[in-house]
Amino acid sequence: MSAIQHAERSPLRIFLKTIVARAYPRVVAANRHKSWLFLDMALPMVGALAMVLVYQGLHAPRQYLGFVVMGGAMLAFWQNVLWTMGAQFSWDRGNGTLELMAVSPTSFEAVLLGMAGGAMIMTTVRAAFIILIGSLVFNVTYTAGGLLPAIGVFLLTLGALYGMGMLLASLFLFYSREAWHLGDALQEPVNFLSGLYFPVKALGIPAGTETLLVAAQVPIFALLAGVALRYLESRARKDGKLVTRWE
Amino acid sequence: MGVAVARQLSGYRAAVLLGWAVSSNWTRPILFIAYSLLRPVSMALILAVMYTVITGNAAATRPYLAFLIIGTAFWSFIQEGVSEFANGILEDRGRYHILKYAYIAPLGFPIYLVGRATSKLASAAASVVIVLLVGAFALHLGINPLQIDYPLLVAACLLAFVSVIAFAITFSTMLLAGRDTNGYGDIIAQFLYLFSGAIFPISVLPGPIAWIASLSPLPYWLELCRRAILHARVYQMFPNMSDGEVLLRLVVATAGTVLLGYILFRFTDRRARRLGHIDMEVNW
Repeated sequence: MSAIQHAERSPLRIFLKTIVARAYPRVVAANRHKSWLFLDMALPMVGALAMVLVYQGLHAPRQYLGFVVMGGAMLAFWQNVLWTMGAQFSWDRGNGTLELMAVSPTSFEAVLLGMAGGAMIMTTVRAAFIILIGSLVFNVTYTAGGLLPAIGVFLLTLGALYGMGMLLASLFLFYSREAWHLGDALQEPVNFLSGLYFPVKALGIPAGTETLLVAAQVPIFALLAGVALRYLESRARKDGKLVTRWE
Repeated sequence: MGVAVARQLSGYRAAVLLGWAVSSNWTRPILFIAYSLLRPVSMALILAVMYTVITGNAAATRPYLAFLIIGTAFWSFIQEGVSEFANGILEDRGRYHILKYAYIAPLGFPIYLVGRATSKLASAAASVVIVLLVGAFALHLGINPLQIDYPLLVAACLLAFVSVIAFAITFSTMLLAGRDTNGYGDIIAQFLYLFSGAIFPISVLPGPIAWIASLSPLPYWLELCRRAILHARVYQMFPNMSDGEVLLRLVVATAGTVLLGYILFRFTDRRARRLGHIDMEVNW
């Protein structure tokens, strides 16, 4: 075997190529699905509009509209994690792709990382669009003062969120219909606990504590996602039902 | 005649039970109830916190909190009746491949759809009760079961259910034309949220949109629910109208919704049959 052939088949190279290959449909092919594009942006926008009108009904100061616009943009990430990370393996099993992934000489971790990377890029673009439209429509202005800490917390949150998405992907596969309903039921509680539409300090949690909690979740979710994947693989070998539809 | 009616009733019952089984048999009853409650209770809490942040829970603004909570509670009927129903029908076709069998059964397809929608509305009832309990005990809204105007509440809800079912059936039949329309039920439910006066009075909407919203039965239904439960202790969307006037508007709007729904359903149903939408393979 030549050095080039060896390099082509090295596990690291396969791992990296898998990440790129799985991210590709997230970034490129997803845009061909116009109805998904519409749904991904319309749902958070309409939800944000409803909350803006609630604040207007309460005669709230204008700065609260900024919370709602930012909340609408962040909602796009949460929905993305829940439905296109968490539910993806379940979809893949339904349409037969999971079977191909299971027999290919790569790892589920690489597939999940590719899914997360591609989803992050695409959702960031959509969230930016939501912020732009929301800010223009509701006349929201921003100050550059807190930009750096905001970006830091945002990146940290993305790490935790997509780590959780990787964990959910395995859970959705284990529990199938139950996980599906749980995901559906989790949307609003997470909206509430994350302070999507109001300052989170209203829940009595200081911003510093919140940031620490988010930081702690990054390794926790990564670790749990790995454990869940190992369990998934062992169950698959034992039961032989990983790729069985309707399980 | 009697046999035909009995057969339709039996079919309706079967459709209700099927809908209930599909909605609930994926877990144990206690977990099903817990999952069903998470969304509406969280929504009510979000609004309660937003209200508290802005008003500081001032006594003068309590009627508005009652407005928010009762609107959110009864919204579960729309969420289940429109969004979940539409998703359920699309699942029947694309995922379970049973819609074609329901369609060709001697029962009558509309009866099947009404049965499925009834089960969705029934499963929302627990959420409504729990959110009202949260409002009564956690948020001290002064809801007293002995002071509720039950005839008004029941009349308003029955009329609203008729219009919700008519709308949901027509809308779901329209969605069958698309190959990938799963999720559109959520979007429409969100739009109805804006037009219904569930969490803000429709007068907050821009003029022409507020006028369109006033044609819908939903604002009148929710107004009557609020009045039936809290009488004058809740913020009113139509303070210049008596209960009877609001009820009359609800009757007229419901009749309009049913008539329009029937015409659209006949059209979309014929089109679906002609173009093969009922058993279209959608690669779920």
